[in-house]
Amino acid sequence: MNNSRVLIVIPAYNESDNIGQVLAEIKKNTPKFDILVINDCSTDNTAEIVQKAGINCITNVFNMRYAWAVQTGLKYAQKHNYDYAILMDADGQHIASETKKLFEQAINTNSDIIIGSRYLKDLGYPCPLFRKIGTKFFSIMIRLFTKHKITDPLSGFQCLNKAVIDYYAQCGNYPEYPDANLIIEMLLKGYKITEIPTKMRVRENGVSMHSGILRPIKYMITQFYTCIVILVKYAGKKKGKT
Amino acid sequence: MNNIFFIIISLITIIYIFYSIRKNKLDITSSFIWIVFCIILLVLSIWPTSLDWFANLLGITYPPTLFLTIAIVVLFIMIFIQSKKIEDLRKKVIDLGQELSVLKNEHPPKTAPKKSSSSKKQ
Repeated sequence: MNNSRVLIVIPAYNESDNIGQVLAEIKKNTPKFDILVINDCSTDNTAEIVQKAGINCITNVFNMRYAWAVQTGLKYAQKHNYDYAILMDADGQHIASETKKLFEQAINTNSDIIIGSRYLKDLGYPCPLFRKIGTKFFSIMIRLFTKHKITDPLSGFQCLNKAVIDYYAQCGNYPEYPDANLIIEMLLKGYKITEIPTKMRVRENGVSMHSGILRPIKYMITQFYTCIVILVKYAGKKKGKT
Repeated sequence: MNNIFFIIISLITIIYIFYSIRKNKLDITSSFIWIVFCIILLVLSIWPTSLDWFANLLGITYPPTLFLTIAIVVLFIMIFIQSKKIEDLRKKVIDLGQELSVLKNEHPPKTAPKKSSSSKKQ
């Protein structure tokens, strides 16, 4: 590993059942990486657990939801001049030991974004049917419009380099759901995105932000609409990291 | 009688808009479209036949439809402008919130030292 400064950004909302275990796992597996938890105004004792674990914790002044909590972390990373930021979920879905793989891949391939994919290899991730359909749909959409193969566009397990940190931190239009739409945008802007197969677990405790019936429908519609708008926005534009 | 009612309504609204501007409760730029809307209403109230004439000019057989159409178009434009302004404010609020959250993390507020019993005034 080189001397790059790496920050693991973990947005958390009411994750008191999982966050302790997640942090312990990260500290054990990647002691050289800095950790930052963004407590998005949790109503449980998430912040206390993080502070007791001796981990740096930013508590948002109001509930901003997932995307903007991530952006808070990226603003911190930009301000403190980190070379890489690794985005991880607080629900225990992402395995700490896999962060090393993401980082090493970012160094070796000189990619701007490394995505940890559940579907690049069959690593036994039990995917619910609705998610499978959504993933496949957006994967085809990305391939169709950008000619890039992204097997897991809904993965939040990513490693971002400095250029991407700066872009996301200052991005005035950081989307509410930063998934396929953001991947399309970054590919159209000329950023290099690479996927690597990573193991993931299923959430054991707590409630997912995509749970229920209406939320996944809202997610799919919003995601599809924003993808179309981005394609229209960049139609005819030359690729360039601007 | 109807005309007098609408003239009064228009005048009261215009006066209230100017009063709000004087009290800094309404921005001058934002007040423009309301003033225009009130003036149109005032003109139509004073000369109701002008609506018939204008409807005839556009080939509309039932003149009140013209008034409703204009009102709906104006309201749509206003909602669109408001929607853009709300989005702009939302971005600014989130940006401010994020900056404040990071700053609070870097400079945690100092807790006031607890007063010991010995320091109490006798």
